[in-house]
Amino acid sequence: MAYVLDLGRVHSVLTFQPRGAERRDEAAKSELAATIRAVASGDRDAFSRLYAAYVRMVHAILLGRVPRRDVDDLVQDVFLTVYTRIAELRDTAAFGGWIAAIARNRATDYFRQSREQVELPAELPGGDAIQVETLAVLDIVRKLPEAYRETLLMRLVEGMSGNEIAERSGLTPASVRVNLHRGMKLLREQLGWQGHE
Amino acid sequence: MSNDYLWDGSGTPDPDVQRLEALLGGLRAPLAPAPALPDAPLRWRTLRYLGPLLATAAAVLVMIGLTLQTRQSSLPSSSWEVASLAGRPRVGSAALAGTGRIAVGQTLITDAGSQARMTVATIGQVTIDTNTRVRLVATRDGHHQLALERGTLHAVINAPPGQFVVNTPSATATDLGCAYTLHVDEDGAGLLSVSSGWVALELNGRESLVPVGASCRTDPDRGPGTPSYDDADPALREALDAFDEARDARVRAETLRAVLAHAGPGDAVTLWHLISRVDESDRAMVIDRLADLLPMPAGVTRAAVLALDRTALDQWWNALGLGEASWWRNFKAPM
Repeated sequence: MAYVLDLGRVHSVLTFQPRGAERRDEAAKSELAATIRAVASGDRDAFSRLYAAYVRMVHAILLGRVPRRDVDDLVQDVFLTVYTRIAELRDTAAFGGWIAAIARNRATDYFRQSREQVELPAELPGGDAIQVETLAVLDIVRKLPEAYRETLLMRLVEGMSGNEIAERSGLTPASVRVNLHRGMKLLREQLGWQGHE
Repeated sequence: MSNDYLWDGSGTPDPDVQRLEALLGGLRAPLAPAPALPDAPLRWRTLRYLGPLLATAAAVLVMIGLTLQTRQSSLPSSSWEVASLAGRPRVGSAALAGTGRIAVGQTLITDAGSQARMTVATIGQVTIDTNTRVRLVATRDGHHQLALERGTLHAVINAPPGQFVVNTPSATATDLGCAYTLHVDEDGAGLLSVSSGWVALELNGRESLVPVGASCRTDPDRGPGTPSYDDADPALREALDAFDEARDARVRAETLRAVLAHAGPGDAVTLWHLISRVDESDRAMVIDRLADLLPMPAGVTRAAVLALDRTALDQWWNALGLGEASWWRNFKAPM
């Protein structure tokens, strides 16, 4: 495999934690900035670390917008775009929001390019282990407002914690918490599930 | 820990959240490697600061470029031309109508109704059959690489050995100046059939050299199987498949005996590969059978071959009349 992840360094990126609910970990921010600068200078190992740290967020954003069968290819497209355009990023602290915007734009382009194609239904059960109920729930999540949809998919699909979602997306932990709880409330209503607040 | 299960999984589990995690967790991002990358990204801000200097340099480069124009036309770019032959193949998520480009890191996907053809820089073409996923891993002067995840491709390459490589889950196929068909099924197992020249298969140090007219199976666990000619006795090919798949020593010995019993003068390539693959206790009978079909050349001793002496094996290989072993080894060295 051409790009072997340095798990120790990936771990250090993946696990940078805020000291408090309102403050980012400065060390983690400076490490992220260093990683971004390294990618901009063509460092492919740094790119692998960045990919490992952000692939779940990008996957969740795309999963909330495009058919599941195309999500993996679009994730690759997004990271190729990141690699070729990263030198345009002026504020490394804005990387999370920047890559999220690239993912959302890529999903928009996908539908623009697909408009003239004869498409299969967006999601077809069968052919793998994904069950009908899973796809039904995913369909409902996709109809939630964007902020709730993305945050819930990062939490429920990708297994990211609230702090991780905040660090990757650039949202404040308080915003993430609101999105999770309001999104979950809406989702329960849509699913017709009662109780557990 | 926040004692908030929805926040970070801590505290009292919320049954609804748990149910959603169980339902949706199967959609999680696969642990795929980062995409293969094109050349280093451009640094626009640096370019802006260095503008005047670069403008002068550009003028010089234009003059050099004009001088080398004909030569430049043969240099590879970081993408290949790809043409739809049937249906609507996709490059990444974009449907391909007519012709387009596939860049390093992108995947070409065909469904049951589509086919495509890729132009491998200036050295050949690859036809992509239906129901295939193939990714462009690298393309640069002297090295062009695809990853065939599933499906079938037909490659026709006119280049010095080693310039065109296809990775599969069960072997890496290296072109030695040839044409071939490579198929990978959903389990990652493969089948290579060579119609011109040679192809080398390799996985984890296990190698097979497959000549024109021969085929070779590959397996994700075992790597390349033992090559055999397509016109070999079907009983030999059946026994060979059984031998390659067998793990039990008794079964391996039985299937090996069947292979040797059905081997004819045209199967020396198969037997040569078997010398280093059989259990040590069975090696002598393979050597003796090969010696019946193709006498050992002068200077090669049975003892040396039994000991898997590389020089002895290479000399016997050379006697097959299919090219010098040194050619293969010299070509491999810089890889």
